[in-house]
Amino acid sequence: MKMVPMVIVTGCLLIFSAVLFISMLLPWHTISEAPSAVVRARTPLEEEGRRIYQNNGCTFCHTQFVRPFDWGSGSERISQSGDYVLDVPHLVGTERWGPDLSQEGGLHPDDWHVAHFINPRFVRPESVMPNWEFLGMDQIRALIAYKQSLGFKLADHRMARQNFWKEKALEAFRAGPDENVRWLHDHVPAPWRELPNPYPTTDYRLNRGKRIYQGFCIGCHGPIGDGMGPAQPYLDPPPLNFTLLKGRGISGGILYYQIMNGITGTAMPFFKEELESEKIWSVGEYVAVYFIGETDSRRETVTIDIANEIADSPLKKEEE
Amino acid sequence: MQLLKVEPNGTAKAFLLSSAIWFVVGTTLGGIDATHLAAPELIDNIPFLVFGRLRPMHTNTVIFGFVGTSLMGAGFYLIPVMTRTVLYSERLGKLALWVWNLSILSGNVLLGLGYSQSREYAEWIWPVDIGILTAFALIFVNYLMTTLRRQEKILYVSVWYLFAALVFTWCFYFFGNAVWNPRTGSLAGLADANLAWFYGHGIIGLFMTPLAVAVAYYIVPIVSRAPLYSHSLSLIGFWTILVLYSHIGAHHIIQTPIPTWLKVVAITGSLSMLLPVATVLVNLWLTMRGRLGVLHANIAGKFVFAGLVWYALVCIAGPLQALPSVQRVTHLNNWVIAHSHLGVLGFAGFIGLAGIWLIIPRIIGRPLYEKRLADIQYWLLIFGLTAFHLVLSTAGLIQGNSWLNGEAIYRTLPMMHIYMVLRLFSGLFIIGAAYIGLYNLLRTLYWPGKIKEGLP
Ligand code: HEM
Ligand code: HEM
Repeated sequence: MKMVPMVIVTGCLLIFSAVLFISMLLPWHTISEAPSAVVRARTPLEEEGRRIYQNNGCTFCHTQFVRPFDWGSGSERISQSGDYVLDVPHLVGTERWGPDLSQEGGLHPDDWHVAHFINPRFVRPESVMPNWEFLGMDQIRALIAYKQSLGFKLADHRMARQNFWKEKALEAFRAGPDENVRWLHDHVPAPWRELPNPYPTTDYRLNRGKRIYQGFCIGCHGPIGDGMGPAQPYLDPPPLNFTLLKGRGISGGILYYQIMNGITGTAMPFFKEELESEKIWSVGEYVAVYFIGETDSRRETVTIDIANEIADSPLKKEEE
Repeated sequence: MQLLKVEPNGTAKAFLLSSAIWFVVGTTLGGIDATHLAAPELIDNIPFLVFGRLRPMHTNTVIFGFVGTSLMGAGFYLIPVMTRTVLYSERLGKLALWVWNLSILSGNVLLGLGYSQSREYAEWIWPVDIGILTAFALIFVNYLMTTLRRQEKILYVSVWYLFAALVFTWCFYFFGNAVWNPRTGSLAGLADANLAWFYGHGIIGLFMTPLAVAVAYYIVPIVSRAPLYSHSLSLIGFWTILVLYSHIGAHHIIQTPIPTWLKVVAITGSLSMLLPVATVLVNLWLTMRGRLGVLHANIAGKFVFAGLVWYALVCIAGPLQALPSVQRVTHLNNWVIAHSHLGVLGFAGFIGLAGIWLIIPRIIGRPLYEKRLADIQYWLLIFGLTAFHLVLSTAGLIQGNSWLNGEAIYRTLPMMHIYMVLRLFSGLFIIGAAYIGLYNLLRTLYWPGKIKEGLP
């Protein structure tokens, strides 16, 4: 083959045309244009928020698609091609420094997002997301509107749930500590309310609890558990002051249940996806011992002893 | 018109110098970017430097500014040499240089101010795209007109690759940025994701790769003083890379709900990439075999050799990480970032540096200011990049396996911390190498002091 400029340039153009046809034009016309069942139009504020998301490169740390083998938040629904018909440009993403956001809408109430944008570490102490305070409240509001729309109709459904419970939670909060604590505990199923923490209080358990508290809770509930963490000024209702729980019927089971499922409508998220059972019991115990000053740990021992428990072994007592 | 001053090989020189400057800028931006991941509030609440804006400034600066500028600058020297003539127009070349550099600069400033299309390597907004396309066109015309006035009948394989790179890149850039949609620069939905990676992969596979291969094809035989092993292998490698590399972009999005046939095309194409890569590497290996000592006596030869070794490694890992079973672990995490740096800096960047160190002394007719500084740059880069790659690959495997086992992303962040500190640390070697390179180049060009003995 005689390689003269003509041959090279024409050859390149021919190959490019073929490739353009196969890899761009064909997919362009075969990828489904039909919106999936959840899609709805975005409001102007949500569109504005999407532009801010785009201009600030959020997509470099957050994806917007759920894979069949994902476990994280939003993985209740696997993404479909029809979910993206309104996206110009696409923001699918190729890296996860933070969670996938395709079903983010309604996972947290707006006030949580305000605190989180001002400084992500206020609510998520170990996050590496930048502070977005410099954007100003207007842009933050728009961003939040966009985030709360992710998942479209599913997000609307979750938002309605958030708003419904927010009203109830605020009502209870305004009625004073007695009323508020009663309201919180009334919504925990009875068997959980009566359940004591099944494990004895030990140093190692308290240390584990402390580690979890610092990684997950401290930003809202504060270093001394009085609900005055750095996120507090942004949250309404504010984070619970744990000391109020003393003498108000708290139990290990209630603590566990609330940490596991969160309190929808408030900034308290659920931790069931991030913390295993042992960790939830330990952090609950830490809160009970250090902040509430009242623990029901191992109040009754009607169970078969757990195989690795050494707290009540005679040897352990001797060592001490 | 001082800016468009005409001097022999002035365009090549200016491109190579610009590249060394972009290398410093790009790695510095990368360094700041890396601090964000190690200590998110160290550089805090400065809009221009926030991670999401800085990251595309870093990637575009190193890809277009550092790698692209050095390799195309080498082309400005190589095309006339290989066709035994002079450059068609130095003035046109200088014009291309300014359009090119100003586009890169303005694109980055705009990103810092918060104007982005948020599609990887296509973040620059429409006016910048037009500047880049213009620059590519000007460069192409200059290469082409030079070649048409050639004294040498036979076009060497490097010339083919330079032309292919420019033709393909122009087309990829035009379509990939959806230039007919000035406001958004994109299509809608998953078709846009596909287009963006059709483009993104074009920038990797048909901009950086053929340019770097072109320069390697020139430097290896010249420096090792041996004829190219085989013309037929050159031909096979050339046409197959154009056919295969151009349509595998969808391997970046095989976990999204794109059509299955597209995934099949991308994955089989990725595997078959071993063919053109092996062809080029075998051809060059058989050329330099037995002469590695000669090759390594020359700083450019050293850089090219290392670049080709990285190329082999990247292109063994690449096809594997296109496989769905592998991507379950490696996709979406630092594994890919490790791969990117190995490819863009290790392969394309090393060969760009080889171009700088080979061509500059030839143009100005003087040896380098300090050959030892170039050696130091080489070793800093070898160490820095090796560490960078090992650290990030490890981090990626930890992330990928943790996620697959059901660990929440938030829980894996504390595990990442030490790796981000180590990556910053290894990155400092790369950044240092960039500064040393620029210093050496400036001294060579403008303030050589006492001329040292020895040939370049
Ligand atoms: C045979 C050759 C190669 C193949 C088959 C290949 C394959 C791949 C695959 C499958 C990915 C996506 C990984 C993922 O997202 O999970 C990827 C990413 C990447 N590759 Fe390669 N690669 C090859 C060579 C190269 C070379 C030579 C370079 C540099 C010049 C390079 C630069 C990149 C970059 C920058 C990315 C990251 C894209 C992003 O997500 O931003 N690759 N490659
Ligand atoms: C010339 C040298 C370099 C080149 C060619 C280069 C190239 C790249 C490329 C192509 C990407 C995008 C990767 C992807 O999307 O998959 C990237 C990302 C990045 N690079 Fe570099 N880089 C260089 C040097 C550095 C240095 C010295 C540092 C830091 C010390 C650095 C830090 C980063 C960071 C933090 C990211 C973003 C990673 C993330 O999103 O997780 N780079 N670089």
